[in-house]
Amino acid sequence: MRIAEEMTMYEKLSILTDAAKYDVACTSSGVDRRGDGTGMGNCEKAGICHSFSADGRCISLLKILFTNECIFDCKYCVNRSSNDVVRTSFTPDEICRLTMEFYRRNYIEGLFLSSGILKSPDYTMELIYSALYKLRKECNFQGYIHVKAIPGASLELVRKVGFLADRMSVNLELPTRESLRLLAPHKSRKNILAPMRMVQNGMRENREEIAVYRNAPQFVPAGQSTQMIIGATPETDYQIMQVTESLYQKFGLKRVFYSAFVPVNEDKLLPARTEAGPPLLREHRLYQADWLLRYYHFEVSELLNEENPNFNVLMDPKCNWALQHLECFPVEINRADYKMLLRVPGIGYRSAGRIVKARQLGVIGFEDLKKMGVVLKRALYFITCNGKMMYPTKIDQDYITRNLLDSRERLPDSVRNAGYRQLSLFDDVRFGAGGGIL
Amino acid sequence: MKRVYICQDSITGLYSAIYDAWKERRGDGSAGIALKKQIVPELFCEYVEVQESQEKALAVERLIRKHLGEYAYGRLYYAALSYEPDKGDAIFGTMRSARHLADSTKIMDHLTDPFARRSFELARNVGNEAHYFKEFLRFRELKNGILFAKIEPKNQVLTCIAPHFADRLPIENWMIYDKTHGMFVVHEARKKWVLVSDLCADESRFEEYSESEEKIQELWKVFFQTISIEERESYARQRQHLPIWYRKNMVEFDE
Repeated sequence: MRIAEEMTMYEKLSILTDAAKYDVACTSSGVDRRGDGTGMGNCEKAGICHSFSADGRCISLLKILFTNECIFDCKYCVNRSSNDVVRTSFTPDEICRLTMEFYRRNYIEGLFLSSGILKSPDYTMELIYSALYKLRKECNFQGYIHVKAIPGASLELVRKVGFLADRMSVNLELPTRESLRLLAPHKSRKNILAPMRMVQNGMRENREEIAVYRNAPQFVPAGQSTQMIIGATPETDYQIMQVTESLYQKFGLKRVFYSAFVPVNEDKLLPARTEAGPPLLREHRLYQADWLLRYYHFEVSELLNEENPNFNVLMDPKCNWALQHLECFPVEINRADYKMLLRVPGIGYRSAGRIVKARQLGVIGFEDLKKMGVVLKRALYFITCNGKMMYPTKIDQDYITRNLLDSRERLPDSVRNAGYRQLSLFDDVRFGAGGGIL
Repeated sequence: MKRVYICQDSITGLYSAIYDAWKERRGDGSAGIALKKQIVPELFCEYVEVQESQEKALAVERLIRKHLGEYAYGRLYYAALSYEPDKGDAIFGTMRSARHLADSTKIMDHLTDPFARRSFELARNVGNEAHYFKEFLRFRELKNGILFAKIEPKNQVLTCIAPHFADRLPIENWMIYDKTHGMFVVHEARKKWVLVSDLCADESRFEEYSESEEKIQELWKVFFQTISIEERESYARQRQHLPIWYRKNMVEFDE
């Protein structure tokens, strides 16, 4: 292991950003907090992105590692102990200074602090605590802080950190126990789920405390999230979504993030490097389905099953569901209940809300829908306004499928530009699991 | 004959015009509101210039708040900041349409009404742009310690974003310069922000930065470059979220 002695801030930042870039969950939403007038910062419920990097992902937080030194040896991770890379660490002071100066200039919404495991999980968690304490209490920073709970750290420490952070996350890393055992031998399902459960319970108790004492300190007010690496191991979309669903139901998670696997290490247990690049379309489909669970009242069992365990490559999950359930359509915009409106392709939860309000005051036509933000080129096969369809169309699966595909759904460009070849190959290249392909 | 009320492109101007049109009980297309510099002359129309006053504007503000409610008031205020020349007609029309509703506070939900729909559309556009500038505005630290930001928005978003930054940076001196409309928001530490429109400022003074400014900018740039994952690079997707015309005053896109 090489440890550089004297390093400039510029070099440190470049190393510890590079090492943190594979972490997702770079959002800043979920907590609404005004500034108290004495320090710096506030939080916006909807979150604020401040920039978009060359890979098209949003930059909302200063996403860095505390240190990239690590005693763990997870096979997919660039910082694994057996890798020969330059190692360095920030000091708590440096983290405070960077955060404050970036925030003042409106570069960022706050801090996203993760870390390699230095010496021991408890030692690392202590360091994180001291940095956050300084930032909150000495710099009086009131912006957003998202922090990782280190698996294996004592729950008491995790709890202390939770009172300084807005969001905490424990990375699930891989969807199943078996994959975790293979690729992250120092992490165990138990060590990941224990802090997750602790944070969940902590949030519940805190809500009760706040109900009694209004000024009780807030514990992880923006909730907790997790992330899984997608495509390093052979789980199907169905398995992944089942894990997600149970995380939402049993652990009360705010978000589950999916990270398309990028090969940074050579290892016989990892998928071979191919020309195909990270499985971005698969990641995209999982996010779309994730939204259907959180905002559209869908259940995983409606989207996938044992026979069709993977998402359709060519069609988003909601369109796909609608095509399998043509008996429910067309729906009348002026009468259908809210939940049914949510199931119409091209109608989002915001436009569904607008429809429900507007139709109490007047009769809605196609022109109105367009202004409300409905994507008519997708919705038109599934709706009537005042009993009429927009154009004469057939309620027929082949017919609608063909037309929807012609209108070209917005796929991630990496996928669109790569053309059809990659579309049809993206997941069967690796595992021969092409179940969802049309 | 249709009468068109001509006013300045400001809240006071627009509301004064609405006041006159409202007072003369003109309705159903017999009144129009046009902005001084953007009149498209129509036939069979008489044009009158509005006597603008703070009192008229306040009276309209009270009228909207009382009858249409706070929510609609906020939306119509946003619509009035739009760069679209038909905003006066949209707001005036929305106020008239509201009178036909049993509950006039529901007017902004009445999206099948053409005026309400247009006001909704304008307000949404202004709100979206304001949100973009909360995201993409960049402060630079000047020699005297003041944080200075320049923006070039289409709509007059300064008053929409000032409260956000005032809450966020209460103990800093900062100012935001809207180059398009020649206006400033100035915030002195621990005081309320003010809108200044006729300030003759020497622009070159806004380019004298503090000692550490450049160093922090370098750090931000290296962060910005390093955070991107090469294997996922997609300039089209970056452009979709962060259109090129917003990048004008952003440090990380400086040449």
